[in-house]
Formats: sequence, structure tokens, C-alpha cells
Amino acid sequence: MKHSLLILIYFIYGNSVFAAMNHNGMIMDAAGMIMNHNPDKLPKDCKAISQDIDITIRGGHKFAQGFAGKMFTYDKRDWQAPPCARINVTFINEDAIRHQFMIHGLPGYMYPKGMFTIELYGKGQKTGSFIVPSRDYTYYIHCEVSQHTEKGMKGQLKVGKGSGDLDSILGLTAPLTPDIYPIHNNKYTWIALIVSLTIGIYLINYLGMKIMTLLTRQPDSK
Amino acid sequence: MHKLLYYRLIPVVFVLTAIAIWLQPDFFERATGINLPIGQQPQLTQTLKVDKPCTNEHPEWRAAQIIDGVEIAESLLCDPDNPDNIAAFVLGMNNISMRTFMNSRIAGDALTKSDDLDGDGDPDIIHIKLEVLELNGATPDSPGVFPTYDIAPGIQPGMWAFSPKLRGMSVKNFRSQKANAILRAPSPVIRVEQGDKVYITLENTHYFPHTLHFHGVDHAFQTSSGGDNDGVPVTGAKPVMPGTTRTYELQPRHAGTMLYHCHVQTDKHLMMGLNGMFVVEENRPNNWLQTFNVGAGHVRHSSVAIKEKFDREYDLHYQSIDKNLAKTIQNSNDIRVISKQMHRVYNMSESNENYFMLNGHSFPYTLRDALIIAKPDENIKLRIANTQHSNIAVHIHGHKATITDYDGVTQNPAAQITRDVYGVSAAQRIDLHLQTTNDGLHSYGEGIWLFHDHVEMGVANDGMSPGGNIALLVYESFLGEQGLPKLRADALDDVFTNSYYAKQRPLWNKQEAGMLTPDYLHILLFGLLVGSIIGLVFFIIRGLRSEGIK
Repeated sequence: MKHSLLILIYFIYGNSVFAAMNHNGMIMDAAGMIMNHNPDKLPKDCKAISQDIDITIRGGHKFAQGFAGKMFTYDKRDWQAPPCARINVTFINEDAIRHQFMIHGLPGYMYPKGMFTIELYGKGQKTGSFIVPSRDYTYYIHCEVSQHTEKGMKGQLKVGKGSGDLDSILGLTAPLTPDIYPIHNNKYTWIALIVSLTIGIYLINYLGMKIMTLLTRQPDSK
Repeated sequence: MHKLLYYRLIPVVFVLTAIAIWLQPDFFERATGINLPIGQQPQLTQTLKVDKPCTNEHPEWRAAQIIDGVEIAESLLCDPDNPDNIAAFVLGMNNISMRTFMNSRIAGDALTKSDDLDGDGDPDIIHIKLEVLELNGATPDSPGVFPTYDIAPGIQPGMWAFSPKLRGMSVKNFRSQKANAILRAPSPVIRVEQGDKVYITLENTHYFPHTLHFHGVDHAFQTSSGGDNDGVPVTGAKPVMPGTTRTYELQPRHAGTMLYHCHVQTDKHLMMGLNGMFVVEENRPNNWLQTFNVGAGHVRHSSVAIKEKFDREYDLHYQSIDKNLAKTIQNSNDIRVISKQMHRVYNMSESNENYFMLNGHSFPYTLRDALIIAKPDENIKLRIANTQHSNIAVHIHGHKATITDYDGVTQNPAAQITRDVYGVSAAQRIDLHLQTTNDGLHSYGEGIWLFHDHVEMGVANDGMSPGGNIALLVYESFLGEQGLPKLRADALDDVFTNSYYAKQRPLWNKQEAGMLTPDYLHILLFGLLVGSIIGLVFFIIRGLRSEGIK
């Protein structure tokens, strides 16, 4: 009986849960969520929004196809913005699975855990905004779905001059702990080695003889 | 003249060499005399870390509670399941409150329940979405693994698991490398009702192709639209490629304890963890089921049919790991290299099992979440699945239970067997009826009773015992405040250190047999002799050469 009543209640009201709720800075619906959306609150060190930067970033398997040995990535992994800019991110997920645009290092007093996130549960897109502080800093962007960062889905946003490049961004920086690959040697490797060795021996001999003759000639000239 | 002198010195070299060989000291080991070496502290390769047996992170999760109208049974374990997740799994994400949603880490479309087709008060169309997650995998950003999941203190094998579709971060927080509580082994137990129309979508978030195969669960060979429904790449469609999805359809007519697993490169993918229990519950009115039991173990919202006969229900999933297979995902971030190492270099026919888990943990971590808790005179339902290669022979100390079902089929009651070792081969399931009646047969009374696999390699962590799938059946009168049994004060001191399973902690007497000091007299004598021989050889060669030139 109690359950029957429950069903009635849930079937009537249940689906309203995802009608674009805004809950503690979290906007969500059936397609995904935006966490810590901030279109207007200024960081302490900014007097005004310096500029509106609109970025459209796409994520998915197909963007990793140009990178050997990787599986998921963003279409562009290196972004730039001036200090105190408002960044309006349109994140487009081109896969049928979950992907995220997650950025770390924002001031914790405005963005809980220093994060701004757009998560899409499948194909689709969402736009959210955040305002960066004035310091020169490189922010870490990634998709935190298990192993997506590790297998390519990582990027950076440089504000002002930035604070250097992050490691292991596809096409930009080398990994911190690189993989080790075997070298494919063939007969030309050995030919190159033997030829260079022989030349080296002859070169030293030739030079040695030259030097010796020079040295032995000098006393004669005296 | 002088030449002769040099020649005469040559035999001296030989004599000295013979003496040097005779006086050669023992550099690396030697027998002792009367006195044995003094004992010494063990040499640890890492700083000693002692875990608390219970971290007691969420004591508030233990109590019986009602969330969004869902009754959730008490779970006195140290590490009970998150009741908000259970409410979400019972109602479906489309029927929960905002508060419950915010307290879970589950995606909004992970589980949808609707349409009471038979008018019996529960939803009959169930949409389930599964992802594939990796634990302790490689990362290009540090020499360690990510996200970390310890099956026992200091043990982090590379593993995979199916998971209800999640949302947000996979780690506890930005500073942590630890997987959050919902990302864990084993793959969750899935529960559906007999006759439900179930749509299970595999959303392949992983970097390798995978499929879903429903082992023993009633399903048609093809979906209603003619798609692959058996998950076998040889007989059906190509596997579900990374970044893509496939929906399987089931309407099971028969109830029982079944399985599901990935059927791509099955030997490896199954052992990596892509397998879980699949329970079909009998159809009853008002039967809202806990669709997922993440981490298996205690079922805090049992089905109507189970509640009719039993006081408690536990899902017990036995799994094993080959450490060499586990390593194949930890040494590279190039998916081609990982694929080669796993699928071609690694050879399943030369496989060993090194780690044994019950519900995703090995002892002593099984004490945190894999206990069976009981009171006297109760009827307890145990569903046991074995997804190891090797057989298990589960034994519960102090009890004899009755095997009621084999592979999801009820045994004729007259032929049911009551015994104290339950053999389960690879992929088999049994259901046990455990009675805690102190009658000298079913139970010998209250206590802290070990239960474990009696195939002895299963009670060790890579050979280090006690470990593996050891867990306990604990009566409430023997249970302490934080869900741990009332044990001898020092009973767990060794096993909760990181040095114990690294095999660097001596058992019982705490000291290693020490090493011997070098025998300096012999070494000096030997050194002098060898030095003289080398010197003499040079002396002779130089002398002979200068004589020859003259």
C-alpha cells in the first residue's frame, strides 16, 4: 500500500527533478550538468571583466585519431585568455558516452574545490561561464572519466603569461613518465655504424700522421 | 742473465695464487660457529604505515533509515553502503529527490524505472546504463597508478569493473589519488524482477572494445530490432568500440542467481574484473528492487520474495587476480602497447592466480565491508558466485548451511544438501540457506566465525597469509561499535601494516635472524696476497720486455 502511494507520487512528480534545476551553483538536466557556473561574480583581484572570451571545445574519440596510441581528446588542448576575462565555454561532446570539461585551480572562495565543470552524459553540448582572476597561471583542463585524462583528454588554459606548460598534453608537451619503445634496427643501422667507425679510424690516423709530421718538422726547421 | 731470474719468478706466482685460493674468505655467506648471529630489526623498503582497521568515514550510513520513502535496512559494517545510493537504485534516478541525487555520484540517466505494465505496484520497464572503469591504471603524469584502489594494505593491482553510469570526479577529491567509494570492484550486482522489460546499455567509456553477455539470464539471441543481444563478437555484432554504446534487451522469465560479463577476449577481460552477479527476483506485487548492489555484500533493500523467507541477504562474489595480467595495464599509456601486452604477450595458459577477493577486497579489508552479520535464530540468504579460474570450496566455521539453488535453479527440496564445504566451479553460482539456530547442526552458537575458501591459495595475498577471501560471520553480540568484531587487542596489528604483505615483517618474534660481520683478518690477508700476485705479474712482464729489447 505504502509503495503504491509512492509510485503514484513519483510518477506524477518524479520527472520534474531534472527540469533544469539550479542547486548550489550546479545547473543540471537529463543531458548533463554545469558546476560552479559564474557569469557575474568578480574575483577579489579584478575590478571589472576585462574581456569576454568565447571558446568552443569539442571532445571525443575522433579527435584522438591523429595521435598514435591514444583514445579520447579535445579538438584543441591549448587555450589562452587575458587576466580577469569571462570565459564562456561551449563544450560539445561528439561521443555517445560521458565526457567532461573540468578545469582546476580557480580561486576556492568562489569556486568550491577550485573547479568549474561541464559534464555531458552523451552527445550534445552545454555552455557555461567562469571568470578567471588576474594572476598569470596555467589552468589544468581534463576529462576525469576513468582513464580519459591518461589516454589523451587533457588540456590547459593560460591566463596572461601563464605559469609554464603542463605535462603530457597531446601534440604539445611530453609525458612526465614517458613510455619506452624498442628501436627497430636493420642492416642499415649496422652499415651506418661500421662506416662511421671506419671513417673515424682513418680520420684519427690521418690526423695523427699530420700532427706527427708537423711536430717532427719543427725541430728540423730550427 | 736477468731473463732467467724473471722466468724463475713465474712459479712463485702460481704458488701465491694457490695460497690465495686456499685463504679466500667467505664474502657473502658462511656457516656460524657456536653462537648464532644476533637478531635485528627488519629492513623495510618503505616507511612503515599502519592503517586503522576501520576509518569510520560514514557512521551515519549504518542505521536503518527511510530515504525518499525507501526502507533501507540497518548495516552495522565498518564501511556500509551509501543509503542515498541505495534509495536511488531502488527508485531509479527519475524518481528520487534532489537531495538524494546530490548525495549520490550517479548520472541522471544511469537508471530509469517506469510503466507498471502488470499493474502490481512496481515499475516494469527498467533502463540501465553501465560504464567501464579502470582502477590502478597507468598515468603519464606520475610513476604511480591512478585512480588508486587498495584491495588490501599496499596492494594495488590493475583492474577493471563495470559500473552504474557515474557523474563528477572519479577520485575522492582533487588532492586525492584514491578512487571514490562508488568506483570499486567487483562489478555491481544487478537485480531485476522476473518479467521486467530490461534495457541495459553498455556505454563504453574504456579504451578497449567490450560487450555484455548475460550468462544464465533469460534473453533472446537478438534484440527486437535484430541487433546483437548475446555479446559474443564471433556470433553477433562487432564489439562495442570505445566511445560508443549498445543496448541489450532482456525480459527474464526465470528467477535465480546468474552472471553477466564481457565477452571480448573473455579469458583476459573476465579476469580483469568485467564480470558481475545478475539476480532475477521472483515477481511479487509492490516489488521495488535495489537494481545495483555496488561492491556486492549486504543487500539493504531485499525483494519481497526474499523478505518472505529470510531475515538478511548477502551477495558473495569471489574473484581472483593474476598479478602479471594486472601489470599489463600499469606499464604504458599507449593503448597499442597495453593491448599487445595483455592480448598477445600475456599467456592465459601460463596463468597463476595471486590475489583472491571477496566482494572486491582481500583480507584484512574484507573485515570492513564483507562480514556476514547475524543474530541467533535467523534465516540468512547467501548468494555465492565464483568468477575465478580455480574452484572455491567455501567453508563457514561453526555452521552447516543448505544449498537451495544451483546456477539459479532451485533444487528439489527433498534432495537439498546441508553441508559445511560448498564447492563452486568457475562461473557457477549457488544459493545457501544459512540458519543461525544453535542446534549443534546448523549453528554451534554465537561467536566470531571465520568463513573462507578452503582451497588454501585463496586465503593468502600473493602467498602471504592470512589474506585472500577470508571474511567473518559475526554475531551482533560479538560486534564492536565501528562494525568490527570484538577481537584480541593486538589481533590485527600485523596485517594492517603496509610491510606485512610486502613480506618484510617477521611473524611472531618481530626480529629477523641477523647477518654476520665480515671476517676482516681473512679479507686483509687475501687482499695482500692478490695484490702481490698482480704486482709480481706486472714486474715479470715489464722485466722480460726490457730484457728482450736489449
